[in-house]
Amino acid sequence: MTDLVQLASSGLALGAIYALIALGFVAIYRASKVFNFAHGDLLAFGAFAMVAASGIGLPWPLALLAAMLATGLLAMGVERVILRPLVGRPVFVTVILTIFVGYLIRTAILLIWGSNPRGMPTPWEPTATVEILGAKVLLGSLAALAGAALALIAYFLLMRFAKLGLAMRAASADQESALALGIPVGRTLGLTWLIAGMLAALAGTFLGMFPRQVEVNLAFVALAAFPAVLVGGLESALGAVVAGLLLGLLQVLAQAYVNPLLGHFGHNFHMVFPYIVMIIFLIFRPYGLFGEAEVKRV
Amino acid sequence: MLAIHNLEVVYNQVVRVLGGVSLRVDAGETVALLGPNGAGKTTLLRALTGLLPIHNGVITKGRLLLEETELARKAPERIVRAGLVQVMEGRRIFTDLSVEDNLRAGAHTRRDGEVRRDLDNYFTLFPRLAERRRQQAGFLSGGEQQMLAIARALMAKPRMLLLDEPSLGLSPLLVAEVGKLIRVIQQQGIAILLVEQNAALALSLAARGYVLEGGKVVIDGPAQTLREDPDVQEFYLGGAGQRRDFRQAKHYRRKRRWLS
Repeated sequence: MTDLVQLASSGLALGAIYALIALGFVAIYRASKVFNFAHGDLLAFGAFAMVAASGIGLPWPLALLAAMLATGLLAMGVERVILRPLVGRPVFVTVILTIFVGYLIRTAILLIWGSNPRGMPTPWEPTATVEILGAKVLLGSLAALAGAALALIAYFLLMRFAKLGLAMRAASADQESALALGIPVGRTLGLTWLIAGMLAALAGTFLGMFPRQVEVNLAFVALAAFPAVLVGGLESALGAVVAGLLLGLLQVLAQAYVNPLLGHFGHNFHMVFPYIVMIIFLIFRPYGLFGEAEVKRV
Repeated sequence: MLAIHNLEVVYNQVVRVLGGVSLRVDAGETVALLGPNGAGKTTLLRALTGLLPIHNGVITKGRLLLEETELARKAPERIVRAGLVQVMEGRRIFTDLSVEDNLRAGAHTRRDGEVRRDLDNYFTLFPRLAERRRQQAGFLSGGEQQMLAIARALMAKPRMLLLDEPSLGLSPLLVAEVGKLIRVIQQQGIAILLVEQNAALALSLAARGYVLEGGKVVIDGPAQTLREDPDVQEFYLGGAGQRRDFRQAKHYRRKRRWLS
């Protein structure tokens, strides 16, 4: 029981981070049908920005805010300078271009901060724990869960109730129609990237907190959130969150309970596990958990 | 209200779709714009509402005045703010948004706090939409979608409305319904430029009309005159009367007239 609580807590924390990453993917995909391969590099940039911001003495919450803003602005810049001129071209071109943008960001990180791993600053002892149901749960796990929950709730409130959220949903449904109603589609697209960048920085910050250190390869973790995006349904923000949490949990549980069963083959099997779930979903429910079959009237 | 002087539009830097079109709509007036496929009717509307750039089109000549405001090459949101809104061909509602969200999206440019009240007004005007206000708009019938598209444009509180083929793909019963709705809009004092294939409907609603062919205005005048014009009757009102000898048709020349 104690073991299970312990595993569940770290699984959910990992899942919350996956959810943040997946939501960033989904936000951009919904807005422009672009799958943003640079998202992982934005995440790494956010983590480094966080280290740098607290390095110059900013208190932790302020540093986090600064890192999120910096990453958001970077993402917005990428959209404005590199992707906006391609609006109207085949989406495929833009998708390939995001791979290139990812490399640019990665190179920029190496240029600015070098290749040495850094420790992610935390306002508490990195190994501090709280007792829940007799299990020792990392404070960092709880923070990740709480931070992700706050960000996700804010995102859903924005999309559901704010005028900006409505404009974003309208623009993603039919860009020309939205333009004809006076919705500045370009600006809403830029703001979508800003939000996705901020989510990436938040995810990067929490990801860097666990024993994992802040280094450029943090970007690859974004790829681990890839199954969550597909399992949840590319178009569904709610699906991304649910699938992210689920896959984080499954991954940690698989590491504890499935890996040992497989002997030598089981080494690192948990890393593959989310992809197996993804493939099963692609076969039996290709539009994901919450993805909707399109409504069309002819 | 709206004055178009000598408008010329070029797509992809080579295809000239409109070659010197002039047209006028007075305040509160309904004007019909008729013409065959490819005449440039939709292009004219795009030029007015700033949607040309996304279709790789450019206004190369001419002026577009909404009262004193020059509309040419302005951003779409500024044109909507100036009071000119377009209902695009094929309804183009936001299918995965709720009916209510569709209407609220139409009010995006408004800064006044009366959106709530207008929303309720339209739901009284369209009880069918009110019943489905929380439903996904994609599940509405074709006629209901057309009503929604028009109501959505009206949410922006325009002084002038551009309607592109509002009767497209609707049954005769629903076409009459759309006609009724257009009369309601007329009563509110909103000027309308009505682009239609259904010339009978358009000429019954409009005070004046223009016929656009090959990017030029070939006939214009009061709706009554157009209805009686033999060319309009033959080509747009389906009133050719007797069978025509093909040898005769070959020599038949349509009257063409330049406006500007």
